[in-house]
Amino acid sequence: MEITYLNEHLVPGQIGNIFVATAFVCALFAGLSYFLAEKRGEQSWRSMGRWFFRIHSISILGITASLFYIIFNHYFEYNYAYQHSSTDLPLRYIFSCFWEGQEGSFLLWTFWHVVLGNILIHTSGKWENSVMAVFASVQVLLGSMLLGVYVLGLKIGSNPFLLLRQNPDMMNIPIFQNPTYTDLIEGTGLNPLLQNYWMTIHPPTLFLGFASTLIPFCFAIASLWKRSYHDWLKPTLPWAYFGIMILGTGVLMSGAWAYEALSFGGFWAWDPVENASLVPWMFFVAAGHLMLINQKKDRPTSLLTTYAITILTFLLVLYSTYLTRSGILGDTSVHSFADGMPGQLIFFMALYVIFSAGILIFRSRELPSAAEEEVLMSREFWMFIGALVMVIAAFQITFTTSIPVINAIFGTNMAPPVDAVAHFNSWQIPFAIIIALLMALSQFLKYRKTDFKDFIRKIALSSSIALILAVLIAYSFQIANGILIFMLFASLLTAIANLDYFTRILKGKIKNGGASIAHIGFGLVLLGSLLSAGLQETISVNTSGIDIRMKGEEGNANLENILLYKNDTLSMGDFRVTYAGKKKEGINMFYEVNYSQKESAEKEGFSLFPRIQLNKMMGNVPEPDTRHFWNRDLFTYVSYVNQQDFDEEYNADYQVADTFVLSKGDSEVFAPYLMTLRTVSTEVDRDSLKLTGSDIAIKAVCAMDDMHGKITVLEPILVIRDNRIFYIHGESAALGVRLSLVNVNPEDGSMTIIYEKDQNKKEDFIIMKAVIFPYINVLWIGCLIMILGIALSIYNRISRNRSK
Amino acid sequence: MKKLHIVGILLIAVSVGVIISTIADSSTYSNFTEASQNPNTDFMVVGQLNLEKEMNYDPEVSPYFSFYLVDGHGKEEIVKFKGNKPQDFERSDQVVITGRYEEGAFVASKILMKCPSKYNNGNDIEVKSSDS
Repeated sequence: MEITYLNEHLVPGQIGNIFVATAFVCALFAGLSYFLAEKRGEQSWRSMGRWFFRIHSISILGITASLFYIIFNHYFEYNYAYQHSSTDLPLRYIFSCFWEGQEGSFLLWTFWHVVLGNILIHTSGKWENSVMAVFASVQVLLGSMLLGVYVLGLKIGSNPFLLLRQNPDMMNIPIFQNPTYTDLIEGTGLNPLLQNYWMTIHPPTLFLGFASTLIPFCFAIASLWKRSYHDWLKPTLPWAYFGIMILGTGVLMSGAWAYEALSFGGFWAWDPVENASLVPWMFFVAAGHLMLINQKKDRPTSLLTTYAITILTFLLVLYSTYLTRSGILGDTSVHSFADGMPGQLIFFMALYVIFSAGILIFRSRELPSAAEEEVLMSREFWMFIGALVMVIAAFQITFTTSIPVINAIFGTNMAPPVDAVAHFNSWQIPFAIIIALLMALSQFLKYRKTDFKDFIRKIALSSSIALILAVLIAYSFQIANGILIFMLFASLLTAIANLDYFTRILKGKIKNGGASIAHIGFGLVLLGSLLSAGLQETISVNTSGIDIRMKGEEGNANLENILLYKNDTLSMGDFRVTYAGKKKEGINMFYEVNYSQKESAEKEGFSLFPRIQLNKMMGNVPEPDTRHFWNRDLFTYVSYVNQQDFDEEYNADYQVADTFVLSKGDSEVFAPYLMTLRTVSTEVDRDSLKLTGSDIAIKAVCAMDDMHGKITVLEPILVIRDNRIFYIHGESAALGVRLSLVNVNPEDGSMTIIYEKDQNKKEDFIIMKAVIFPYINVLWIGCLIMILGIALSIYNRISRNRSK
Repeated sequence: MKKLHIVGILLIAVSVGVIISTIADSSTYSNFTEASQNPNTDFMVVGQLNLEKEMNYDPEVSPYFSFYLVDGHGKEEIVKFKGNKPQDFERSDQVVITGRYEEGAFVASKILMKCPSKYNNGNDIEVKSSDS
């Protein structure tokens, strides 16, 4: 029987699907037209190509708008809205829903391509035809990712406008027998980890970075195609550095997100998904520097390497999309997204690997190369070495991250290193040292040839300052590890030598200082990571006296979490810390933790509010709260709490604990409370208690003082109706206390009160972890300086290109 | 020999080093039987929780968490974890633990929870032992 569904909103999806088809077809035609324009050199093909690309662009915007419209209006009859949003989701996270799913993230990526493509049409001049032909081919493949059609039994793409009742996993659910089912469904909501403000800005930034790797790739392929091996570098360079800046910002933002929102305990955990975005950036940086070396027109020293690394940067973006989206990282990553379509992505990758390797090998013999040998004391030689070290470092990260892929290909059963952080650090710290030293010293080398003595004289000052500072810092923080001291020296040297170069050689001219400033920033990033990660100190050591050593272990009694009962104060590092209670606001349970510094003139302390985000569908998630001081961060999160906080079907079990006879004004200690019988009255709200006018009611007003300033008033009532007595309890679930007034002595007016205690109620406690990250601000300041430096050099290069 | 050739040779040498070190550092997905035969060596064991047996976690008494895990070969073992119980641990349908046998008991230093596929949008949760 065919069911006619009512209340479905099919129009936005239909419009969206028209745009999906148009976007795909127009990308195809744009590519073909531009290809013919390049081949035949006819103006008419070029304008065809432009028009098709514009229609393609409008269609992509149309898809985006339709999907937004659906999510924004909570049309849960659409699979995408159902899976990634819910009605109660705050408006500011609607954007996060958009790119949580696979279709949305491909759409975001395509969207940035369209933006960049339209700029390219107007700025690439004689490169337009060839570059846009390559560009459009990528758009065809990305567009196919959104099709969701079956061709010869193969599913091509995944459609963002799929209806819930068309989803193969959902279609047999009986709810779809109901013609008005749309009234009954509610979205499953957004992953709580993504409900964070960093998640609304870091994916778009990261994807813009990914998108910008396409432009150097297109120029590289186009130049091989046109046999114009040199001219492509000038227009590509600003784009390359734009991409390096944006992608770098995106990677750092993902670190900031991990630091602010996840309880990883740090900004970088060498998680496979984090690595997957870092690796393309490292290749991009290497490619950018190789382009600089080869830009000198007369002597291209390493053109083949430049091509290879530039092309690989884009291919690695595809590879990292595959890693994160195919679910292959499932067993190794904290956040892999297992909803991909690996087959199509692998095809996509293989196509571009074969195509670009083919054209590069085919043309490699024609590539011009320098006749003379590289000069050892030249800047370009060491920049070249630096770029290669960067590539090797990135290769190391990729190789370990790819263990699941290696397993899939070779049928092996390797598991990633048990201690991933130690594994990566053992390689990456030496690489970082080499790169830092090269960044510091190669500035002082000239292009072509440098006099050795002159070079030594120039670097002597910064080297000695860096050495003295490194020794001082190592001494005062008691760093004993030789390789860390070396890294300390290298990162200080990078910052100082580049500052020296900027002030002494460039005479502080901001216009030419982009590279130096970016390198100063990079030195500070290295320094900040070394200090904050290397010297991080967990101060929440267990001092509760619980000493349950596990067999055969020594010195493990001090665990890095402390148990805090409500209102207890414990000593922690140079702080005193008190758990003051919890409060629920919306979907969050906030735990108030008060800190005060032991040796501080100011008595005023501060409070941190680590929280647990309550999410029935996906589980509760702890989120940290951090106090920022100028020289250190105090990072706190709740790792475990009394689970009764979340139980909805909690059954209290009241047992009589004591019976007391009290007169008005009397107090009695019911540990941990002090109860005072404040007053007795006969004024009760008869309506709400459903009492008749003839009932006699006596109310005892009892104040429960928790001795920390919080008073809860309980009012047990004794009712006499037609010679029968019954009790209305005064109860507080929060305290786990129930009082009953059972007798009033007519002679002296004293009251008999039964005090019952909830045996199931546990005392309110939290288990929390607190970590100090020293000088983490050096890292963030370094990031900002680096981004600023790159921005300056892009600006400078564009204005130079224009003036020529 | 040109300088670039030297650079090339060094490059290959380092790459080979990277591959060898990764393979040396990598562990294997294993089972309780193998892990018990090699005490004090770290293994990664993939398994499922036995929800019928009690999980023991009472932080007011002991900061250790213990649970029963059935490995891929059907062998059940009690696992001790030096840390607090992960939120919603019961809901995970697969667990990857990293740890070793120490004096006859399996002690985990890291737990990676795999949540049911319907929730799996980035919802795997990793918990590290408090002293790692």
